Amino acid sequence: MTDQRKGSDAEPTTHFGFKNVPESQKAEKVAEVFHSVAAKYDLMNDVLSGGMHRLWKRFTIELSGVRPGNKVLDIAGGTGDLARKFSHLVGPTGQVVLADINASMLKVGRDRLLDKGVAGNIEFVQADAEKLPFPDNHFDCVTIAFGLRNVTHKEDALRSMLRVLKPGGRLLVLEFSKPTNPLMSKVYDAYSFAFMPMVGKLILNDPESYRYLAESIRMHPNQETLKSMMVEAGFDRVTYHNMTSGIVALHRGIKP
Amino acid sequence: MLLRGLLASVENGVNRILRLDSTAMARLQPLTGKVIAVECAAPPLQLFILPSDEGLLLATQWAADADCTLRAPASSLLRLVLSKDKTAVLHSPEVDLEGDSHALMALAQVLQDLELDWEYELSRWLGPVATALISGHLRSRANWYQQGFASLNQNLAEYLSEEARTLVGQREAQARFDELDQLKLDLDRLEARFERLGRSLNSSDNA
Repeated sequence: MTDQRKGSDAEPTTHFGFKNVPESQKAEKVAEVFHSVAAKYDLMNDVLSGGMHRLWKRFTIELSGVRPGNKVLDIAGGTGDLARKFSHLVGPTGQVVLADINASMLKVGRDRLLDKGVAGNIEFVQADAEKLPFPDNHFDCVTIAFGLRNVTHKEDALRSMLRVLKPGGRLLVLEFSKPTNPLMSKVYDAYSFAFMPMVGKLILNDPESYRYLAESIRMHPNQETLKSMMVEAGFDRVTYHNMTSGIVALHRGIKP
Repeated sequence: MLLRGLLASVENGVNRILRLDSTAMARLQPLTGKVIAVECAAPPLQLFILPSDEGLLLATQWAADADCTLRAPASSLLRLVLSKDKTAVLHSPEVDLEGDSHALMALAQVLQDLELDWEYELSRWLGPVATALISGHLRSRANWYQQGFASLNQNLAEYLSEEARTLVGQREAQARFDELDQLKLDLDRLEARFERLGRSLNSSDNA
């Protein structure tokens, strides 16, 4: 699945959920969604996934192989679930950068981590995944959890992540994907389009943001497409692991 | 995913227990960054333990190499968990250690030395006054039961050995053991004397 970039003078469009919007507007619209949900992001994650997101992130940590002294970049780090664990794993000699394009999410994440005493080896950077403001060959591990589907040009973002990784460094992409079981797929559709907006309305009085979440998941590349996108971007030994019947997949690629 | 969920719950529980000991986290801090792999031969199971000043991180897999690998059958691992003297289990022949064993020994030592301050945890929920009342009551009950049990034990032992004569008393048994030891020593001396006599007879025959 590639973003539509027209060759004519008209501004190229890309998807925002099921709608097509001019590329210049997607980041702004995604930002609106996350500004709206930032305050109760963790609560909503727990309610909507039944706490499963913690296990998915746990698996990401296990596959990261992060060691003391490593430099880790957590893109779209949101409220800092992964960054907190990485901060303990890399120790005082390592470095963790929590990057998010959305200022509200970054603020919530920063406050939350500082409240938990996570400081010293962690930095907070507002950055666009497509144009990462870091030197080449800098990080040992780059993660992006539930963020890639909101990026306008995914190929550019993957190339940017490859650039900042050291040779031998690992990229881990944790993202919603396509269920492998047809029955589960039907249940999941009903859950996403009926239950999720309803919970969004009840807790945040914002059903639209969660309608966008369900739609953006459907528009995101499936497991094999994302794998080939990572290979095209230049990653080596790309593998993926399906979790919860493929509702979520963790892709891993190594920089050659 | 089920195993991972179970492990997350176990990790949460273990870390709660570790937090009840005021020194445990500080003692785990030097082990930060160490990866300890535990491999169970039967049933085949692998577990990774990553200690840090936040407690233990338990994982079913870890992408980096382990600093120390412990291989043992399930029975030994169970003994390791339940036993008070964990170091003795680690030195048993069926347990195989590979790599930096210091990390594992240090972790075992921290777990072995745990002194749980359950009163602090209780006071967080019930407040200091209620905790003092409850813990004072529980402590006096525990002392009473301990004394009662010790007294019962002693009375029963005395009855069986002194009155019913069903069992031999401890002092009586010790006296018999001393006699047996003396007899064994005497026999050894006699055997040595016979040997010496035999040697002197042999030498006189040859002459």
